[in-house]
Amino acid sequence: MEETSDRLNPGITPEFDPKTMRSTKPGLKRLFITSSVLFSFLLGVPFLWKSVEIYRSPLPFHDIDSLSDQLESTPLRFPCNFHAVFVGFRSTDPDNLRSQIQDGINQLTHQSSQCGSCDFSLSVTVQNREDQCSDTLAHSSTTCSYCCGVIKRNGFGVGLDDTVDESLNDVFSGCSENSGKMYSVVVVNKENANGGDEVKAVVGKRRHAWIVGNGLEERYGDIVARVSEIFVQAFMNGGREEDSIQGEFMPVGSDGKIVLSFSLLNSNPRDWVYDWDFQRIDEALLAPVTKALAPIANISVESQVLYHTPKSSFSSWDKKLQSYIFRTSDLPFFVNSNEWHLDTSAGASGRSKILQFVVYIPSGKECPLLLQLPNGEISKTNGFISPMWGGVIVWNPGNCDKDSESPSRNTISLQDLEQIVEIFLGQFRQLFGFKSEDNYTSGLGTYKILPSERGFTEWELDVLSRKHTCFNLHSCSTTLGSLSRLVRSLPRMIIKDEIGEQVKYSLKAAKLAQSNASLGGYSSSASSSREARSLAENAFFHPSIMSVSYFSYEHCFAVYSPFFLPVIGHVVLAAVREWKRYKQEKAKYLTWLTRKKTT
Amino acid sequence: MASLLRSLFLLLIVQSFLVAIAFGSNEVEEFSEALLLKPLPDRKVLAHFHFENRAPPSNSHGLHHHLFPKAISQLVQKFRVKEMELSFTQGRWNHEHWGGFDPLSSMNAKPVGVELWAVFDVPQSQVDTSWKNLTHALSGLFCASINFLESSTSYAAPTWGFGPNSNKLRYGSLPREAVCTENLTPWLKLLPCRDKDGISALMNRPSVYRGFYHSQRLHLSTVESGQEGLGSGIMLEQTLTVVLQPDTTSVESNMQPSWSLSSLFGRKVVGRCVLAKSSNVYLQLEGLLGHGSKNVDTEIEAHGLWKNADFELSLKPERVLRESSSFLFIFDIDKSSDSEPFDLGLTWNLPSKWSCQQAPLHASRFLMGSGNERGAIAILLKATESQEKLSGRDLTNGQCTIKANIFQIFPWYIKVYYHTLQIFVDQQQKTDSEVLKKINVSPSTDKVSSGMMEMMLELPCEVKSVAISIEYDKGFLHIDEYPPDANQGFDIPSALISFPNHHASLDFQEELNKSPLLSSFKEKSLVRSYTEVLLVPLTTPDFSMPYNVITITCTIFALYFGSLLNVLRRRIGEEERFLKSQGKKTGGLKQLLSRITAKIRGRPIEEQSSSESPAAQSSVLSSKLIFKIILVAGAAAAWQYFSTDK
Repeated sequence: MEETSDRLNPGITPEFDPKTMRSTKPGLKRLFITSSVLFSFLLGVPFLWKSVEIYRSPLPFHDIDSLSDQLESTPLRFPCNFHAVFVGFRSTDPDNLRSQIQDGINQLTHQSSQCGSCDFSLSVTVQNREDQCSDTLAHSSTTCSYCCGVIKRNGFGVGLDDTVDESLNDVFSGCSENSGKMYSVVVVNKENANGGDEVKAVVGKRRHAWIVGNGLEERYGDIVARVSEIFVQAFMNGGREEDSIQGEFMPVGSDGKIVLSFSLLNSNPRDWVYDWDFQRIDEALLAPVTKALAPIANISVESQVLYHTPKSSFSSWDKKLQSYIFRTSDLPFFVNSNEWHLDTSAGASGRSKILQFVVYIPSGKECPLLLQLPNGEISKTNGFISPMWGGVIVWNPGNCDKDSESPSRNTISLQDLEQIVEIFLGQFRQLFGFKSEDNYTSGLGTYKILPSERGFTEWELDVLSRKHTCFNLHSCSTTLGSLSRLVRSLPRMIIKDEIGEQVKYSLKAAKLAQSNASLGGYSSSASSSREARSLAENAFFHPSIMSVSYFSYEHCFAVYSPFFLPVIGHVVLAAVREWKRYKQEKAKYLTWLTRKKTT
Repeated sequence: MASLLRSLFLLLIVQSFLVAIAFGSNEVEEFSEALLLKPLPDRKVLAHFHFENRAPPSNSHGLHHHLFPKAISQLVQKFRVKEMELSFTQGRWNHEHWGGFDPLSSMNAKPVGVELWAVFDVPQSQVDTSWKNLTHALSGLFCASINFLESSTSYAAPTWGFGPNSNKLRYGSLPREAVCTENLTPWLKLLPCRDKDGISALMNRPSVYRGFYHSQRLHLSTVESGQEGLGSGIMLEQTLTVVLQPDTTSVESNMQPSWSLSSLFGRKVVGRCVLAKSSNVYLQLEGLLGHGSKNVDTEIEAHGLWKNADFELSLKPERVLRESSSFLFIFDIDKSSDSEPFDLGLTWNLPSKWSCQQAPLHASRFLMGSGNERGAIAILLKATESQEKLSGRDLTNGQCTIKANIFQIFPWYIKVYYHTLQIFVDQQQKTDSEVLKKINVSPSTDKVSSGMMEMMLELPCEVKSVAISIEYDKGFLHIDEYPPDANQGFDIPSALISFPNHHASLDFQEELNKSPLLSSFKEKSLVRSYTEVLLVPLTTPDFSMPYNVITITCTIFALYFGSLLNVLRRRIGEEERFLKSQGKKTGGLKQLLSRITAKIRGRPIEEQSSSESPAAQSSVLSSKLIFKIILVAGAAAAWQYFSTDK
């Protein structure tokens, strides 16, 4: 532009400098055109955005987070009513006793509030020798109170433990169970001159335990400690070791079902073929167990017989025992997944948890086959479990000699089958984290635990349903948490309304389970927690998520950029240039105006 | 004493009766295995493995099993399957040489790929759902893509043209499915002995899959118990049919090859499956009546049957059964052991020739027309030589007729015009009413359901050839619906030709033991044959086309838009003024351009008027260029950063 300065403008006043001034007002036409185009483009952006938007059902992220926070910060606790009855104690203050037991319980639980544990309320009744009572009731007084004088000091504990258990059940039968379960420990102080020093402690099949002994009043502190130990170890924790099997390993499928699949494996049918009549066992022995566990899981039982199924580990001959030995170190290789076709068709079982129970009959080459424990002893059950998978029992035929050429066809006798089922029940309990010993020993003494013919005692079932509710809620919250993380990390993933609904209902069910749990409704909270978990899993495994229909930003960019990139360039540049030019020209015009004014 | 014994006996009876009641029935699950070997006229050998597993009527199906596969029983319970057949086939059955009128071919000659049909025992409205669920379950069970039969465009509901007349029948086939050992292994898993023991130990994978034809079949049927409150029994029939070529050592070309089990399969049978109720090997020899003796009465004659001038068997058969046109040698593999394996061999001493029984009409199918727009399908039925001998003719109104059912499924993208159906009998066009007895057509709906045609032809017995043609248009698929190898073409499933008045059965007069294989042969089975699979090439789009279109149209739009905008904001007067002022002095850029053109033309620069150094100009230009490149690179880096951030 420097060159134009030479040009003279003869028609204008000498002060007029065309480089810096202009005499006319700058036009607005072009600026208007370019800016209107730009604005129409900008107006179009929301419409475009709307048109490429994908449908995402709004998920309640906040509620999901708050659920997991809530479960994290305040673990779910169920109200439990503990009732201790001291019979035949002369001068003991119930308030004092109560505070002592409470201290003992707190000491044992270490004040830790694990999920699914008890939020207990303790009441203590002391019945003195004249059958007069003094009570200290819990804050939330239950309608269930011990009717004074029912338990006779000297008549108690005579006869079988089972009948004592039944009679205790009658004593406490008037309890209403609308606010948690009621557990009781009865301590009977017998004053029997010739009786020994022995103290007998029994935990019953239902929700009662009793301690009977002589001269208990003298060993007062000891007794209080034992009472609180029963409350904590048996009724609160179910005799489980805290860290043996965590709540996360509850072997229940997400649809609340367990399939117990029993397989009889004839490792080499050329030696012998064994068959069983499992249907009868199922009806007679397993049906009560499945019925007892009904509140926790819907259990179905199936069985099959398989042939040509060698184990995949080796066993060695032991001369001393005159048998083949496999060690615990071989166990990881025992299950031969190539040859053991244990599978149930997935079409039929769906999302239920399948627990495999295998009865392995060794071939003639490895019979009898025994399991050696690490301490050198031979296992009594001759079986082992694998958590979350099931259990294996090695069953040796009575006679290991193959006498004839043709294989013998036998049926496992009913007695043997009963034994096998007993071992299985032990394994099944173990899978749930329970021990199968008939007594429990702690530093303070030994407790006898009455076994139930249903496999699980009532207080164990209570523990299970507490843990199960807790596990379900945990699983629900983690599933929903991962769903929300997934959804948030893929901002262009389509989320159908169904998923949103399922998440909503799952949260609702989880809320319901929590409120039911705090009210002490064991079965209702278990069922709604199961529903919450299953809905959460349904949402997470919804087919529309699985087939990630994912319309990515890259795709969007590739489709729209060939048009919008060049056009937007033009439009923006034009608008900017026009605006600059207009400003420049206007400045020129203004300087001319001022010049004109001054002259 | 006697009374005591009697009462004890009574007690035993009562007890056993109680036990029987407790079990529901005293029947037990039964399994049997059999192998049928048959030399074929074209120097091949057919091996037909037959396994049958029966579960008696019981309420505990799907729950407690001893021999019967639990997975199958659970499927039956879950999807209420009444009858089902699933076959995996590779190769095509040669009807001319391997037979077309015996139970073996009518049951085991299957179309290439996967074929599945099932009859359900559910209300009519739930049949489709059951079918879909069943396909998914089976596809998991057999490691095959049977789940593609789930979509309503791939299956049909035949009414009478297929065989079992039921409105709860669904039929589908996948001609493209490659069948291999991964399908055989789960199939073997259903046998109690799998391939560890017994006859199935012969199934050496390389030799089975080296054959000309192999078809593995699973047929399932439920048997109503008839008793109140008792479930139904299940019968599971598993067969594997293999056609193998024995290694020939003889130089004579007209000599039938000699073979043994170990040379065919590379393995021997070392013993029976101990769980099988019966395990037999059969050898069927056809059409040797001319050479062999006419009656089998005496011992010497029987001996002469398996060791004679024509051929020699390596083992002595247990028994010999004869049928109208063939002999059946029965072998029991019970006696074999590890030291003395069962290895049946057949040695031919003299050249021999025979032919198989043929179906009344031989069917083939082909495509007509060219181009990617339309075409026609033709089915050609040719009379076979053996037609004269066959029974099953229908004498109506004194006329001898053959009935033939044709069942055909058309995928929806083959848009068939049913009015163009033409039937030629002995090269003369016939009207529909003359030969067409019955026809049932369900037209296809685009992308919703496949079309199906069932028709029954009634042909005179002396017919030589029948041709049926029907025209179609090829449809267009959505770009998402093309398979990955779209240029290969699309398959039209095999048509099924069946002859409702002809039934094949083999009745061996001596029926001493109830072998499941022989009793299944004895049952009259419908004579049927499948045609070839047709490959229809469809127009396949250029799959990158959408992006090309987008890019080109967008570029054109952008060019148009940009130039329009430029024109709108041009100031012509001002530019002219500017150009005029610049007229004397050429700009740097122009000078550079003229220099470049001059250089290209190879002439010296004429005008040396501008003495400005081009270096300065080019440095300005290059700095601008570098700036632009940096800008673009920065934008790209930013884009990359923001896009990978997620």
